[in-house]
Amino acid sequence: MSYPAERHELAAASHNPPEKTAQADPDLADIARVLAGDVQAFEGIVRRWQGPLINMAWRYCRDRGRAEELAQEAFLRAWRGLAQWRRESSFSTWLFALAANVFRSDLRRFPAVDLPLEAAPEPSAAALQHHALAAQLNAESVRRAVLALPRRYREPVVLFYFHEMDVAAAARTMRLPEGTVKARLSRARALLRKRFPHLEAQHEEMEFGALNTGKEA
Amino acid sequence: MNQTQTNQADKMHTELDPTAIDHILATEEHLIPTSGFLASVMERVREEATAPPPIPFPWKRAIPGITLLTGTLGWGAFALVRHGLPAASELSLTPPHLTAAFDQSLEQAAWVALALGVSLFSWLLSKRLAGRSGLL
Repeated sequence: MSYPAERHELAAASHNPPEKTAQADPDLADIARVLAGDVQAFEGIVRRWQGPLINMAWRYCRDRGRAEELAQEAFLRAWRGLAQWRRESSFSTWLFALAANVFRSDLRRFPAVDLPLEAAPEPSAAALQHHALAAQLNAESVRRAVLALPRRYREPVVLFYFHEMDVAAAARTMRLPEGTVKARLSRARALLRKRFPHLEAQHEEMEFGALNTGKEA
Repeated sequence: MNQTQTNQADKMHTELDPTAIDHILATEEHLIPTSGFLASVMERVREEATAPPPIPFPWKRAIPGITLLTGTLGWGAFALVRHGLPAASELSLTPPHLTAAFDQSLEQAAWVALALGVSLFSWLLSKRLAGRSGLL
């Protein structure tokens, strides 16, 4: 995923004077304009962050319409709370943490999936005859099974993969220590592996096959 | 392979051993916002911006009334305790042996109510703490 989080981390970490940083960082410039009363300047923020926030919400609920509703609610909360951002962390960290709060509390009231992990669907054996279809079905089953994980394990998984496997970023978004996130992540992955044991076997077979093909070529 | 890719690969190998599940979850397709999303968000933001600010509670006007009400209720409670309770304790409609049995069962009921209250409070407290820590 290409979102400008890293750019914002760098901007926050740099020691440039505020005016210079605001000029270099479009978010800071837009925030300054919004706080000065220019409502229209918020459009720049929405334009830059709509993709990441919708994709993040999608990973929480796997429902396109609901993901957009949740992202919209997160933007509204950001609009209301923009003055409360103390610039201790980067804007992206603040925005993702705020969005995660919105998604979490909404999904607590209306859960996306109300299934235990054992009841999460698995692809049928017939579909396994067709590799592409089987892979697609497997992938969808695993992604849906993430939503059936217990709540404390679900969110670290969602945020870890959303942040491109960056534990520190996921921990910052959840406002939890990295060690806690790592432990929950490890447990979640163990639960998923237990639920889908055949996937690992297939993965190893495919890697072995690819290696052999490479050697023959 | 550039530096970013190398770092990504290193991260995957050191933090968590990559598996098929990792591969599936890391290769999620990306949604593109619908064309009306930006306009819809901005419309709601503008609505909020133009909406009149909420009317603050009129504390200045309410404080004399609240003070008067609190004083009256306090005085009423005091008068009830001072005059009402001794009079009520003197008044007995039931025979003495029944009163003793009634008092005993009332005391037991009070203990049961207290125990239930403590249980309810501890359950609510633990639920709240567990909710905050993300256990639930």
